[in-house]
Amino acid sequence: MFNYFLRRFLLIIPTFVITTFVVFVILQETPGGPFEQEMLKIQMKGAAGGDVGAGGGSKGGGVEIPEQAKQELMKYFDLDKPVPVRYILWLGKMARGDFGQSYTYSEPVLGVIISRFPVSIYFGLIGFLLSYIICVPLGIYKAIKHNSAFDLVSSTIVFIGYSIPGWALGAVLLVLFGGKYFPLGEFRSAGWEDLPFWDQVWDQIHHTILPVIAYMVGGFATLTVLMKNSLLENLGQDYVRTAFAKGLTERRVIFVHALRNSLIPIATGLGGFLGLIFAGSFLVEKTFNIDGLGLLGYRSIINRDYTVVMGTLVFGILVQLTGNIFRDILYAAIDPRIQFK
Amino acid sequence: MDHTSKDNIIPRDDLPREEIKEKGEQVGPLDVPQEEAHESHATPADAMLARAPLPIRHTVPDTEVEASQPAQKNIREATGDAGAKPPLSIFKRRVRKFKSLKRGYWSFIILTFLYAISFALPLLINSKALILHYNGTTYFPAFGTFHSGQEFGQTGIKAEANYRTLHDQFKQSGGDNWVVMPLYPWDPYENDYNAVIQPPSEQHLFGTDDTGRDVFARMCYGFNVSISFALVLTLLTYVLGTVAGAAMGYYGGKIDLYFQRLIEIWETIPALNVIIIVSAILVPNFLILVSLLVLFGWTAMTAYMRGEVYREKAKDYVAAAISLGATDSQIIFKHILPNSLTPLIASFPFAIVGGITALVGLDFLGFGLAPPTSSWGQMVSVGLTNFSGDFSNWWLVLVPLSAMFLTLLLVTFIGEGIREAFDPKVFSRLR
Repeated sequence: MFNYFLRRFLLIIPTFVITTFVVFVILQETPGGPFEQEMLKIQMKGAAGGDVGAGGGSKGGGVEIPEQAKQELMKYFDLDKPVPVRYILWLGKMARGDFGQSYTYSEPVLGVIISRFPVSIYFGLIGFLLSYIICVPLGIYKAIKHNSAFDLVSSTIVFIGYSIPGWALGAVLLVLFGGKYFPLGEFRSAGWEDLPFWDQVWDQIHHTILPVIAYMVGGFATLTVLMKNSLLENLGQDYVRTAFAKGLTERRVIFVHALRNSLIPIATGLGGFLGLIFAGSFLVEKTFNIDGLGLLGYRSIINRDYTVVMGTLVFGILVQLTGNIFRDILYAAIDPRIQFK
Repeated sequence: MDHTSKDNIIPRDDLPREEIKEKGEQVGPLDVPQEEAHESHATPADAMLARAPLPIRHTVPDTEVEASQPAQKNIREATGDAGAKPPLSIFKRRVRKFKSLKRGYWSFIILTFLYAISFALPLLINSKALILHYNGTTYFPAFGTFHSGQEFGQTGIKAEANYRTLHDQFKQSGGDNWVVMPLYPWDPYENDYNAVIQPPSEQHLFGTDDTGRDVFARMCYGFNVSISFALVLTLLTYVLGTVAGAAMGYYGGKIDLYFQRLIEIWETIPALNVIIIVSAILVPNFLILVSLLVLFGWTAMTAYMRGEVYREKAKDYVAAAISLGATDSQIIFKHILPNSLTPLIASFPFAIVGGITALVGLDFLGFGLAPPTSSWGQMVSVGLTNFSGDFSNWWLVLVPLSAMFLTLLLVTFIGEGIREAFDPKVFSRLR
């Protein structure tokens, strides 16, 4: 078992290298990167400063950049070296914690990313806790009342929730309740720091409710259905019949015997919490204009801020890979029947 | 999961997959008489039968008994009196069961009907006249020919004639000239700069957007785009995933091992990021976008097929097929695949849901189909940028999203029905 997980951890390295290499190559090979943007900026400056003249031959109508300046600029962006060399350079710097400068924020990338952590962790943690607090009891109740009116109605609602993407529900809620009842997005109001403490709390809660619903809705259905099916499956098992046969109350059979086993698949989901917490959603954060990791990644791609793109990627991949292993460890720890080899 | 995990961009149909995986691991008797289990849970014997895991392999399809009422009747008919008509094939019985589930069946009919009609949208929702009769000649502008306004006496209009005003004009003046307009005379691409961001009215059923395009027309065209996109995407994903997974399971060994590692790595690549980066440069059309999503979505299907083929190939009927000299592809596609198809079919509608939401999400971010294609996501994005609280311009957001919700709901109902018919999960309760 120990060897298995050791191997898994070691496998992170090649996976990480190959994945980042693929994205690195794609980023480097696509036009419109920082180098081209810089060139364009210089061209525009030249065009604005000097006279544009009649019928500039070069495309875009800008001025020609001297070959030497071009070379220097390419050297600045390491473009004079082949892609694999550039990648190794990047990897080496990254390993030493140097993710480079962000082109748009003019700050170290690491700082930019870490400054978004609190927002993403805040929403991730609240959504995560709330969905477990609500879904587990709901799933249990639905299993006990299988095929009752409550079960059918709530199943329909859960199914609808499953088919609706969270950000879309968020957009609907925003239009229905935004403005009068809830703020129009953002993490906090402007000038939050100057508010008295309880106003700060209230403001924060006010800004939290709609995005959290949008974050939760997808996982909500999966978790509830998983809990219900898991408990139902256990209620049909031999040991449950034995428990009934020896005269235990239904309550005891369900909550002491069946429930413990049916929590196994639910509990393994806890392993994914790392990913959940560090996960911002492009879509939800764009809908509510929340400045978390998701929106940072989205903006960096739009602005072609490649150092930030690679930085968010590194964090995303590492969190995902370790999260997967963590989930399997938890799986093995909870369920002794599971053997990893 | 990485920071794209909550975005559901790549259709991964979590819910169905969870169950498939679960069941795939169970090894149960091949034909469990589920009808008995379904009927009563009173005796221990019944409970035991009910407890037995669901078979998802149908090695002896014709003897399998479904939990459905019509199917039961049919079997009794078939087995009760000798010489009666032969039992229906498992597939037909399932279709029959599906038809008996009214909600799913009606959703299926409505959705198919709407989708079929949506191909005739240019004849129903269009700003060009269907038929135009002018000075003794008959024209059919809606069928592709271009006519400038001047041709029909609209002085000063060198561009396409405005058939709506022509319609009113001819009607007023009487005479021999007439125009037959489509049911809803607005084009989804037509910019009416005199009516920018208009609330729903008689003229524009669901109002207009920030460039004066008719929201209702765009919503309808968006329906066709969404469904077509999801269908093509899901089909391609399934074909690729099934073939790759089957090959991995069938050949096993080194091929399987290396492929598995490769897929593991491939799945780690944050697909949404890459798709956005690529589509930021390419300005993707329908095909490019589908290929991109297939490229990152096919791996999700392989796991199930691989495991399934792995199990099946150890069975006697495969050995028999090999000894008869069947080729590998014959064994995989003719013998094993039909036995593994059920969960694939049952998860198909949910993959469609994933496909639709993926397209809408990408369009919302601005990296989907190139404008001015009518797409719900792009409409929502326009709506949110023009939203400033208190219901302002609500139709811009709510109309496309309602259309999407209703569509997704129909597909989900179909999916529920198909799952119930093809892959019923029977639970028993002891009391």
